[in-house]
Amino acid sequence: MARVLIIACGNPLRCDDGAAWHAAEALRRTLPSGQAEILCFHQFTPELAEAASHADAVIFLDAAAKGTPGQVVCEPVGSEATDSHFSHHLTPATVIALARQLYGASPQAFVVSLCGECFDHGEELSAVVVAALPEFVRTVNQLVSQMSTNPSPGTP
Amino acid sequence: MERRTIIIDPVTRIEGHSKITLHLNEDGQVEDARFHVTQFRGFEKFCEGRPYTEMPSLMARICGICPVSHLIASAKACDELLAVRIPPVAEQLRRIFGLAQVVQSHALSLFHLSSPDLLLGMDADPAKSNLFGVLEKHPQLARDGIRLRQFGQQIIERLGGKRIHPAWVVPGGVSEPLSQDNRDAILKGIPEALAIAERTLEWFKYTIEGFREEIKTFGNFPTLFMAIVKPDGGLTFYDGKVRIGDASGKLVAPGLEPSRYFEYIGEKVESWSYLKSTYYKPQGYPHGIYRVGPLARLNVADRCGTPKADQELAEFHELQRTAVLSSFHYHHARLVEILYCVERLEQLLTHADILSKHVRAEARPNTMEGIGACEAPRGTLFHHYKIDEQGLIRWANLVIATGHNNLAMNRSILQVAKHFVHGNRLTHGMLNRVEAVIRTYDPCLSCSTHALGEMALQIQLLAPNGEVLDEAVRP
Repeated sequence: MARVLIIACGNPLRCDDGAAWHAAEALRRTLPSGQAEILCFHQFTPELAEAASHADAVIFLDAAAKGTPGQVVCEPVGSEATDSHFSHHLTPATVIALARQLYGASPQAFVVSLCGECFDHGEELSAVVVAALPEFVRTVNQLVSQMSTNPSPGTP
Repeated sequence: MERRTIIIDPVTRIEGHSKITLHLNEDGQVEDARFHVTQFRGFEKFCEGRPYTEMPSLMARICGICPVSHLIASAKACDELLAVRIPPVAEQLRRIFGLAQVVQSHALSLFHLSSPDLLLGMDADPAKSNLFGVLEKHPQLARDGIRLRQFGQQIIERLGGKRIHPAWVVPGGVSEPLSQDNRDAILKGIPEALAIAERTLEWFKYTIEGFREEIKTFGNFPTLFMAIVKPDGGLTFYDGKVRIGDASGKLVAPGLEPSRYFEYIGEKVESWSYLKSTYYKPQGYPHGIYRVGPLARLNVADRCGTPKADQELAEFHELQRTAVLSSFHYHHARLVEILYCVERLEQLLTHADILSKHVRAEARPNTMEGIGACEAPRGTLFHHYKIDEQGLIRWANLVIATGHNNLAMNRSILQVAKHFVHGNRLTHGMLNRVEAVIRTYDPCLSCSTHALGEMALQIQLLAPNGEVLDEAVRP
């Protein structure tokens, strides 16, 4: 079975920015044991490159600030780094590029995002994000299922 | 030539948001330079009315890089409110927590933020001055930075339950003892961390030969240096007396009480930055300029107390007969401290009682005011709280490392700008050096901009020729 790594990113103290953490919780409850490793972070950092290098497939979960609130988007991660000046937070593409250049690994990678409406201080998700959360989780579940059996699936 | 202002905005590869303005005279020479901190937080104000028990967790939210220092200083202030002596093992566990954070924070500063300048040079193509440029030229260095950060982060995660904003340090001690599994797992990582620290130090000592001009001009001027030291003058990050030394290496204040910080440290607000400037009160403002953090700690400490770091400290002290003055040597000091932290972690983790279950003293508030201090990665940190009869915070003051260094950072920018920046010929390398001198201090602006509602504000609308078109001032 392919090793699938899910990396959820966001700040659960900034309302919808924590959507990925909520999804990660739901995935921990619903995914069969051992089907995927799930990590939660506030940012994507260089250290994640090593974790990504051990996986056959990596799924990044994040809240999007641009788009229609409640919209779920699944996109493949490009192979080129997209940060030129970074400090300690990276884009998913840069994490994957680091995994390749530092550790010689080339996992398949996708970003699944849920567009938020409210990024104010608070732990509550907005109504539109709460309503979209099941679709967010379902999309990730489908991707995990596909990747577990075929590490090179198309975008679902 | 007309007067011009060069603005570097944002300053890159630091923690937080800031800009630098360079003011040129008619001859195109730098006349003045300022480091403006443009972000704004407000923690001192919005914690008012909250129960003191929430303070460690609230204060940890100040920063994602050094939350552990805020946890420790905050918990120590709360220990004072409770008027308890915490169990000895809890104190040792807090020390381990703090040392792990220093390792990961220093590794971030050196490997991720400053190594592009050190490895690729100050004049390197900005598109390559990043971690990818580093790994292309020196992949081992890039991998070492990642491993060392992981080492520190994993200790924090093992003790605190999570890497960022752990709430394990509590008033009266820590919430859970150290398990044998976690102790053994941390100890297993020590040899690799030590090897990384040692080989990076060797690489650095070889590398700085190419930076003689920067060493001469990067904050190379006399100031005071301040740090908390152990009673025997040894390096510490947790507890002790505040020691202040001068540029000649003499001690001007060998053992001040951290809890009396307000008697010897003043805070000044300038209209052009959200970052307050602190100064040594006996010498007034701005003459009482001092530096904190790795350079200051190594300048005022007599010893580290671990074998390898003591050797490196002796070598560090040989860099200059007086105190080591150039801020470029912050990088060197940071590496010596990483080595110390790893050695000290091993000492603490192999102590016979470290797995003791007695890790917390329980009490209700017994005093109305508490002050906690520790050495954060970037320097001395003070948390000062006053509570009411219900245990609610009535007033809080935080004095943060980056604020201590504010005067020195501004003077450093001016020194670098005067030396490297000339108005008739601007290059990336010149401007990068102005930014790079700020990076030597590794400022954490998220931590240091916490005042709210009492900050003097000045907003100026400037025409291209520098004429002030409009101005709004809040005194």
